Amino acid sequence: MYLAAIFNLDHPAHYFSVGPFSISAGNATIILVMVAIFTLALFLPFPHGKGDKK
Amino acid sequence: MTMKVDPSVKWSGPTRPYDLIKELAVAVLVIGLLAAGLSFLFSSPDEKAVTLKSWAQTNPVDFAQTATGELAGTTTSASYGPPYNKAASGQHFGILKLQDWSGVRIPINPAKSFVLNPLASYNDVAGQDAVVTWNAATADQQTAWATGYADALGKAKDATAVADPSNLYGPVPTLITSLLNMAKGGALDGSLLTSDSTLPTNFTKPLLFLADSEGYFAAKAEEQHLGGGQWGVMNETGSWPGQSWLWLFSFWYQVDPFKSSDNADTLVMLLMGLFTLLLALVPVLPVIRKIPYKIPIHRLIWKDWYNKKL
Repeated sequence: MYLAAIFNLDHPAHYFSVGPFSISAGNATIILVMVAIFTLALFLPFPHGKGDKK
Repeated sequence: MTMKVDPSVKWSGPTRPYDLIKELAVAVLVIGLLAAGLSFLFSSPDEKAVTLKSWAQTNPVDFAQTATGELAGTTTSASYGPPYNKAASGQHFGILKLQDWSGVRIPINPAKSFVLNPLASYNDVAGQDAVVTWNAATADQQTAWATGYADALGKAKDATAVADPSNLYGPVPTLITSLLNMAKGGALDGSLLTSDSTLPTNFTKPLLFLADSEGYFAAKAEEQHLGGGQWGVMNETGSWPGQSWLWLFSFWYQVDPFKSSDNADTLVMLLMGLFTLLLALVPVLPVIRKIPYKIPIHRLIWKDWYNKKL
């Protein structure tokens, strides 16, 4: 028995193309999410443990 | 200015407690939940396998043309060179003949491996007789038959066979028709998979034969944006994200001189090897080593430490 995914990605991808560059919407999303997480990690305060001396 | 550090001297700078087990447990839990959650939401690619059977059934004309090309020695695998044969010396860069140096480690004669040997073991008397006739002929005669039939099939366009009342093509029409029937029934997949071992785990031969197909396999790859000139290495079937970390490898294949070079793989690997070397040598490269001073991202990451220093 197969359970269908909530979001069906089994269809042709959308591509963004400029000159020789071409990227799928899926790859672009992953890259943007990675950049967003990296940016958040840079600016969000680092959590300090209880025993952490300041 | 260089600073010498005596490894026997105890660290006298600031310290902080660090719970490695806690971090490991949290990381495993978070990644596990993410993997399970994303699988539940998006599932994963489950493309139906491409086989010789699906090829012969979906595009029998392309199958017949490619199989004839194998007999004529005009396909990609027939003229590939090492590691399959000595038809060419393969990719090189100056005196670096990487492909040639690798030697013929997986000897494959496409005419024999993909057409004649499978037919010799297939239960079709006409096909087996045609193999005997082919094997008894001279190499020149075989080439004349096969190239003549390849031309005739090319002109016929949508035909899987061409009538040969004058016997210009010898046993070739019978060989191709018999192989097409064998492939349509699925027997050719089994034959190529088990030709070197009883366990069907070596897909080299069926994949090479499939890769020679321009009308079916190449078209299928292009349709899914998996072609070399389409950043295909980065892409995945369907709408799932692919291997985006391979963007720089993939990039070179989209621009000249790599794009139009017969040695593109060698050139790209050498260039990426050079870049990797440069990355490893960052600490000793005069200009590059100064980049962190100009773009101090590390000061953002360790801002607590640098703020305290100020």
